[in-house]
Amino acid sequence: MSADGTDLPEAAVRRLESTAFSSGLTVPDFAACLELGLQPVALVQGFCVMQWGWYGPGAGFMRGMSPYVGGPQSAGAYSETYRCPHVSISAEHRAWGQNLEQPWVESAWAQGYGTAYSRMLEEATAHGAHGVVGVVDRVSNVAESGTTEFHFLGTAVVVDGGPPPLGGAPWTTYLAGQRLTKSIEAGFMPVAVVAALASVRVWAYCMTEYCMEGTLGWGVPAGPQLVEQVSRAHMAVRQLARKHVRAQLAGDELHGARIDVVARQLSQGDEVVDCTLRGNRVRRFKDFDPIPSPRPTVRLS
Amino acid sequence: MLRGAQSLAVAPSPSGARGVTSDLSVDEALLLHAAGWEPLDLVCGVAVVSVPVGVWNWGSGAISLASDAHNSAVDEAARQLRGECSEAHGHGVVGVRVEVAVNPHHIDVELVGTAVRPVDAGGGRRGNDAAQAMPFVSDLSARDFTLLERAGWMPVGLAFGASFVYAPRRTAGTAMRQSTQNVELTNYTEAMYSARESAMEKMQHSALQAGGQGVVEVKVTEGPMAFARHAVGFTAWGTAVRLVAREHRFVRPEVVLPLDDAVVMFEAESLRGRNEGGGTR
Repeated sequence: MSADGTDLPEAAVRRLESTAFSSGLTVPDFAACLELGLQPVALVQGFCVMQWGWYGPGAGFMRGMSPYVGGPQSAGAYSETYRCPHVSISAEHRAWGQNLEQPWVESAWAQGYGTAYSRMLEEATAHGAHGVVGVVDRVSNVAESGTTEFHFLGTAVVVDGGPPPLGGAPWTTYLAGQRLTKSIEAGFMPVAVVAALASVRVWAYCMTEYCMEGTLGWGVPAGPQLVEQVSRAHMAVRQLARKHVRAQLAGDELHGARIDVVARQLSQGDEVVDCTLRGNRVRRFKDFDPIPSPRPTVRLS
Repeated sequence: MLRGAQSLAVAPSPSGARGVTSDLSVDEALLLHAAGWEPLDLVCGVAVVSVPVGVWNWGSGAISLASDAHNSAVDEAARQLRGECSEAHGHGVVGVRVEVAVNPHHIDVELVGTAVRPVDAGGGRRGNDAAQAMPFVSDLSARDFTLLERAGWMPVGLAFGASFVYAPRRTAGTAMRQSTQNVELTNYTEAMYSARESAMEKMQHSALQAGGQGVVEVKVTEGPMAFARHAVGFTAWGTAVRLVAREHRFVRPEVVLPLDDAVVMFEAESLRGRNEGGGTR
């Protein structure tokens, strides 16, 4: 990190002190920004590499072998327990199952994402930027090291003659160019890019195991069956992601949301379901002014 | 832009309103507003339905248990989607993204879309309760939804049909006899033909059940199962629509001839003989 005490690498400080501006915008987006009264000042970025700690306090491994004691569910996280309907059980029989939200995974993701984001903002603030447009975020695994890299990239801009945002932190948006112009013309000012990860672990009980493995288990009715435990886990993880994002909106709106779900099968019906939701937090600053009703046309080309 | 920047320079007025969430693009949101609709909430529906053991083993004819599993997964996911839409006080869901995964032992269906309602439906408008109790579900884009509404039609729900069939086998003798001939494999033709028709018939049946008069934007997928190459799956789905106006309203599009086309009538390069095919491209 740099000698002046900021969190930025020295190369970043030298680059930002340069008088030339840089921008990740395409030429049409660049032109649209200028037209809108936004002056690009610098290409800004933020990184954070996180290691996932599976054995920390509150982690699933710390909850013991019973679903009825302790664990993160006692702290208000989502959990559902499924009990075996059979009477006679063996040692291999899954006598109980559980859907369990993994807050330690969610908070680690939020920490990595938030740190990388704040570093990008730090670069933008160093340039006196009012906002960052055309933000691109990427979350990727670093080789096989069990670590995850969070990377933000965007173009810091200054609003011609505009005041700095409240508190000095620049606003951010995934949009740029004509899409940003249209959003602002419609009365929505970008506030921030927001994202959240929700993670649910499925510990399958016997009935789920039978259904997901296609075995003729005791008590499994003939014909296709709704696998309730897995279906509910998938719904829950999507609802949790929306809840986490909604908590960041503070009454503003989320536009252009994108939801991505990754389910990793572990064994015999067990799986981890991760859901990421990201979008543009926007604030309405004027009443909606509907565009004229569009005229349908047929092109002769 | 200045007005927008000034709005962020002051503290927002406290609001107890539940913020809108939507996966619509800027264009779609603007178009919907212009048509008198507003987004409310991002909504989802997911269902995982098991496929019983032995279903994909060699056999003949239709694999009805797999079709049943597919249809029940779609129905359950759509039911959950409608439930979330009703909770958000929406009148319907537009732009639904449909993801179907057929696995050896389970079929997963995911539906994601944006709940919408008419702009003036915020208060206790008549008909709100009925519309919220049975919201429509549509995979049409906001543009197509707007065009459909203008023509006097409304979506009522997703229409789905699926059919799975075993690739028919020939006897060894037949296979040997035909090995040197150019012949139609009639058993294949018949099996595939009937499976395709069956999927489309089921789709039309589900449209009628939803109260639709027809299906638009039908998508058809087909192909062998990755885990069982002897089984072929066909799915057909689209949006069931119903005429809500007294009669179909003709949209009567204007014919436009863009003057910014990219046809180059003359190229300086052609003077040097590089473009021997003439001056146009």
